[in-house]
Amino acid sequence: MSRLRPLAGVTAIAALALVGGSCEVHHTALAPTIGAPLFSFNVFQCRPLKMTGGGRIDYPPGTAEKNPPASHQYETFGAHVTAPGEPDPSGLTCLADSGELEWIDHRPEMEINGQPLNLHATSVTFAELALDTDCSDGAVHWGGKLRVQNTGQEDLDFEVWDCDNSEPGAGHDGFAIRVLELGYEVICPDPDLPPTEPACTLTGGNRQFHPTP
Amino acid sequence: MRIDSIRRAVRFGLVLPLTWTGSALGQMQAGANAQSYGVAVTTATVNQKTPSAVLPVGGMMAVDRATDVTVAGLVTAQNAFAIVTGDATDGSDAVSSATLGTVSILNGLITADGVVAMTSSTIENSNAEGSSLANLVVNGVQVSDPAPNTRVDLPGVGYVVLNEQIATFGGITVNMIHVVLQQPVLGVLGGVTGYRTTGNIIVGSATSSVN
Repeated sequence: MSRLRPLAGVTAIAALALVGGSCEVHHTALAPTIGAPLFSFNVFQCRPLKMTGGGRIDYPPGTAEKNPPASHQYETFGAHVTAPGEPDPSGLTCLADSGELEWIDHRPEMEINGQPLNLHATSVTFAELALDTDCSDGAVHWGGKLRVQNTGQEDLDFEVWDCDNSEPGAGHDGFAIRVLELGYEVICPDPDLPPTEPACTLTGGNRQFHPTP
Repeated sequence: MRIDSIRRAVRFGLVLPLTWTGSALGQMQAGANAQSYGVAVTTATVNQKTPSAVLPVGGMMAVDRATDVTVAGLVTAQNAFAIVTGDATDGSDAVSSATLGTVSILNGLITADGVVAMTSSTIENSNAEGSSLANLVVNGVQVSDPAPNTRVDLPGVGYVVLNEQIATFGGITVNMIHVVLQQPVLGVLGGVTGYRTTGNIIVGSATSSVN
């Protein structure tokens, strides 16, 4: 997706030319403060929104089927974000009001000092409504900075792909996360879904999209 | 030998109220509610719950963690996390989870090495999807994927309910391992006429509701 980054500047100019409280930001690159995504929702808008809930993902492979419990191949999390529907000063992405993320990767190979990998958001800075997805109730791409609780390493950029695809959450909703500087990701791209949508399917819990913050 | 020492320990417990079901129903308020904890032990001499997370009024998330949990020689557990989330504005959804690594109850009478308790509630639905137990062994017998509310007797100790699921008003509670400690009640002639509860041990509990 790095080939699309030069388009960000042109897109920003076009975006700023738009008039109206609901700013439409047509871009395919992610918030420019962090690295380019491997996959992205194609069209974003700055809209007032909120996404709440938490859950479980069994990655790999990240499908609706739970892995055998003894494999310990699963992740659990709690996460929420609210956004006012306003662009950031650069016009390249949308501001977030607030948010939290607590992420635990229970896979033995991800342990640090005998403890599950534990990521904790220290700030949530952007949240953009994703339009061109098959998430029936709403999809949000958001992120900010986090800390690795196991080591204290902090100020790491993260991004989340968040999908509310009706009820119940298990087997329908989706979530994916990437921390570029750690080389860490739990992402489930499906090239058969137009557009490519990287959210892994929840095996427990729920994502709830709210059109107002 | 192990179960004999447990029997001796339980024998000297005192009577506890029998209404304690391990459900948080009585503590719920209108809107979205969520609470979870890794380990809870209640006996005549112990009352401990850790780690524990409760969705605060007006809040959206609460988290607690404990690397090592040891409760009075009754329970040990590692890498316990409690996470609860909910919508504080319109109270329309809540998710609760408690996860633990290695667990040992009553000096190895019950062991597991991966416990996940998870509940989710919306206006339309409450469920315990995502809950699981890994490598669970009860009194020397491996138990795989127990159905909801599976009961296993523990002679001389009481009984355990696995994957205990309790419907609440607008929600659900799941207790992945719930040990009920009991003492025999002896009749006039010395025979056992019943059992009384002397304590409760719960590992992996999650509760969520929307009302």
